[in-house]
Amino acid sequence: MERKVEWEPRIVGFLCKWCSYAGADLAGTGRKKYPANVRILKVPCSGRVDPLLILKGLRLGFDGVMVSGCHPGDCHYQTGNYRVRRRLALTKKFLEYIGIPEERIKASWVSASEGAKFAQVVAAVVKDIEEVGPNKLFTEDGQ
Amino acid sequence: MEQELRKEARKLLEEVNVDYIVGFARGSLKFSTTPLITKDKEEVASLVISPFMVNNLARFLIEMPGRVGIVAKGCDSRSVVSLIQDNQVIRDKVVIIGVPCSGLIDIAKVEKLANKDRDEFDDITLQGEETVVIIGGQKTKFPTKDVLFAHCLGCESPTPKEYDILLGKPRDAIGDEALSRREIKQLEDMVPEQRWGFWKEQLSHCIRCYACRQICPACFCERCFVEESQPRWISSVSQWQDNLMFQVIRNIHVAGRCTDCGECERACPMNIPLRSLSKKMSELVDETFRYTAGIDKNEPALMTAYEHVEAEDLIM
Repeated sequence: MERKVEWEPRIVGFLCKWCSYAGADLAGTGRKKYPANVRILKVPCSGRVDPLLILKGLRLGFDGVMVSGCHPGDCHYQTGNYRVRRRLALTKKFLEYIGIPEERIKASWVSASEGAKFAQVVAAVVKDIEEVGPNKLFTEDGQ
Repeated sequence: MEQELRKEARKLLEEVNVDYIVGFARGSLKFSTTPLITKDKEEVASLVISPFMVNNLARFLIEMPGRVGIVAKGCDSRSVVSLIQDNQVIRDKVVIIGVPCSGLIDIAKVEKLANKDRDEFDDITLQGEETVVIIGGQKTKFPTKDVLFAHCLGCESPTPKEYDILLGKPRDAIGDEALSRREIKQLEDMVPEQRWGFWKEQLSHCIRCYACRQICPACFCERCFVEESQPRWISSVSQWQDNLMFQVIRNIHVAGRCTDCGECERACPMNIPLRSLSKKMSELVDETFRYTAGIDKNEPALMTAYEHVEAEDLIM
């Protein structure tokens, strides 16, 4: 059987330990199907996500970066998600100005009980990044 | 105004228990100044005020012990306030000697306009809309807008808002916002691929001397991410990918602290238009969060504050 090799987006996902990571776990135990394009990294809080992590992801050739944390008001450390929200808002707009499509960066709030929502979010992220296309920003000749 | 400054500086050292005075003295080149840090009562006589006092002295406060009297233009004063907001400087430990700023003359622009070296100029005086340059006894006039640094044209507060002593009368800026952000406008009009190409090209010249970081009063981390080795975030070798990453991250890190003093661009030995990054970031901060750096010392710093509902369009 011949299999056609097509481009599949590679996405790095930073999930907060308290909400979104547990949400992803629940999606698994609930046997929800979602695309396997996101490489998940657990962070202690979405507030840990420095723009540096996002840029490093893109620099390493990931096609998209996804950040997910607790809903506003639910942060285990009270304010981590509020802080990352300010940072991400500026990061996205600034990257757009530099010439990196802001659609490559995705933010969402997923709680520990929202397994189904996590599956939906990942599907939506993958679909959007597919539209933006492969990340060739940092390759020398842009190929 | 200079005499008044010297008198006040001396008084601060003698009577007010100030340990150091930070100001400007004449530089070794014609039409230049150099930062002066002194505790010597006699040395304050060499303090100057001129349209060539380009440095942002707030930078020195981060490292200085004791009580410091600092000569501050509008942008310096804003940087001091920003440092106070970030708990890098204690308000009671600084005495701000406010100097209303006339706008700073970029000597390189004058040299280019007159097509002469700075040593050939006898005198340069800023007189409102016109700047008079005397070359070999001959007076030549240039529009002030053409000789000022671009960031001065975008300045909203040439007179310090935070000060202990204010010398002279408050001044208005010779503003020309459109001219001040001309390069940014050109970039905004491009498509993203062109902008990426532009920055890729510009930052391929970067030699990673970190002059922009060292001179910046908003860059006060004791350990910068570029020097971390576990993990190593970016390569220490100068290549455009990492140079670009350095500048992008640096600008995001100083968001809400940058007062558009233009020092990064002036310090850059490779003439990279760094202000087109920092000024744009300040604009984004303003339009997204209605925040301007260094205005109110009692307001929490941008990145430490939050609203329960904001930036809603960001979330999927």
